[in-house]
Amino acid sequence: MNIKTNNDEKCETGLAALRFVDDPEIGLNIVDLGLVYGLEFGEEDERKVACTMTLTTEFCPMGESIQSNTTEALKMAFPGYDVTVLITFEPHWSQEKITEAGRLFLGG
Amino acid sequence: MFGPALSSPVARTTSHKVVIPFYVYAAFSFLVATVLLLISGGAFTGHYFQPHILAITHVMALGWATMIILGASHQLVPVLIESDLYSTKLGHLSFGLAAVGIPLLVYGFYTFDLGVVAQLGGSLVTAAVLAYCVNIALSISESKRKNVHAVFVFTATLWLLLTVSLGLAMLFNFTAFVLPQDSLYFLSLHAHLGLVGWFLLLVMGVGSRLIPMFLISKYSAPRLLWVVFALVNTGLVLYGLLFLFHAAPGLSFVPAGMVLLALLLFAYYCRQAYAQRIRKKVDDQMKISLLAVVLLLLPTVVLLALIGVLLASSSAHANVVLLYGFTIFFGWLTAIILGMTFKTLPFIVWNKLYSHRASLGKMPSPKDLFSERVYRAMALAYLLGFVLFGCGILFAFPILLVTGSIALLITAVLYNWNVMRLVNHKPFRK
Repeated sequence: MNIKTNNDEKCETGLAALRFVDDPEIGLNIVDLGLVYGLEFGEEDERKVACTMTLTTEFCPMGESIQSNTTEALKMAFPGYDVTVLITFEPHWSQEKITEAGRLFLGG
Repeated sequence: MFGPALSSPVARTTSHKVVIPFYVYAAFSFLVATVLLLISGGAFTGHYFQPHILAITHVMALGWATMIILGASHQLVPVLIESDLYSTKLGHLSFGLAAVGIPLLVYGFYTFDLGVVAQLGGSLVTAAVLAYCVNIALSISESKRKNVHAVFVFTATLWLLLTVSLGLAMLFNFTAFVLPQDSLYFLSLHAHLGLVGWFLLLVMGVGSRLIPMFLISKYSAPRLLWVVFALVNTGLVLYGLLFLFHAAPGLSFVPAGMVLLALLLFAYYCRQAYAQRIRKKVDDQMKISLLAVVLLLLPTVVLLALIGVLLASSSAHANVVLLYGFTIFFGWLTAIILGMTFKTLPFIVWNKLYSHRASLGKMPSPKDLFSERVYRAMALAYLLGFVLFGCGILFAFPILLVTGSIALLITAVLYNWNVMRLVNHKPFRK
């Protein structure tokens, strides 16, 4: 798992929260599915968090739901923070991004 | 990183209001078809060109298979081409025109009164298909990415337009001579344009994208899919030319062989996608969809047997022709619809009800919106009904026809029960 961050401690907290956000079709959380690319935080007293993530396909029918669940999860993990969830397809998601824990969950 | 927008927008999906009516209409049509099958079972021991069989065939081809494919494709085409659907209004228009046209057409066939009512029905269905074709063509033209799956879908819609246009001409030909021969003469051309050009090409185009996607498979082989595409289309064009130029029946082996080769390559593609899947636990819906790929080969084997019988006796055996049609509509097409309905509709309903209810509280998953037990019972009834009725046609055995049609009726009732449970689902939390 290679997630871009500028604050390892807060990143761990954020990822722990995002492990509660599942892809509804697959049933696997978005972190182990490899959808989360980055979690970056504002400087010191700047209460901001930005999550850069992707979807398994650009017109994923579940995209809107996954994005809003991600926003809600980060708002709960970081109360009072401005939460930004950026969807990117650079690079596109591929099966190689699934973590070992994710592969175990899927039976692989 | 910290711009003014709180979130970057995700791509919009097609509104459930466009898609769900097609599913409900298709479910009801399947029920009607199985009721007609039960009360018209005796017709399946005679010739295939008779009113009740024509009515059942068109309920299955238009009301069941085409309506559900039209509905699903309004949702899936944007996923395939990675672009918005051009117009939801055209989607509503397609539904409205087809929903009115199909019963009029089927009533005309059932009573064998192919006058104004049936012709109006046929015209409405053709207009519905035209609206759908325009919508798909404009959606694809605005897409940034063109891929093999989108080409399959677009080509299939063109074959569908040709199929219904020929069907409409055949219909008018009963009351005014608009074709150079009688309508029965064109029946096999009309049927194969629809079966191979529309259903087969579309199922291959969508299936080749969805099967690896649902299995989370690493397998990708666009070149192989282009070969499949070329074989199916060349085979169909060749079949049309042989038909129009009255070629010897033996030459029919050539296009049939090309389509069979395409089917085998497609089955190989699905096999590879399955073998290289990351998601090892395969749900019942995927199992029945994969069974449909195997069932694809059955009608082709029956067709090759039919051509063989035709060459040996210079007349087609009616029961083999009926079996051929049955294995397509109640076998392959129905199996793939029974599987894919519950891979797509639960997500459409779930998105409608739960996508804006984001929180960390656990919500029901799409699979919780229908009954797995009822689904399994439906799958068992279906397999039993398919085998019994198919044997009933082959051996002209009335008891098998009756028991098979009862099992298929039970299948349709259970299917409708689960579809209605899904579309009437009210939001709740686990």
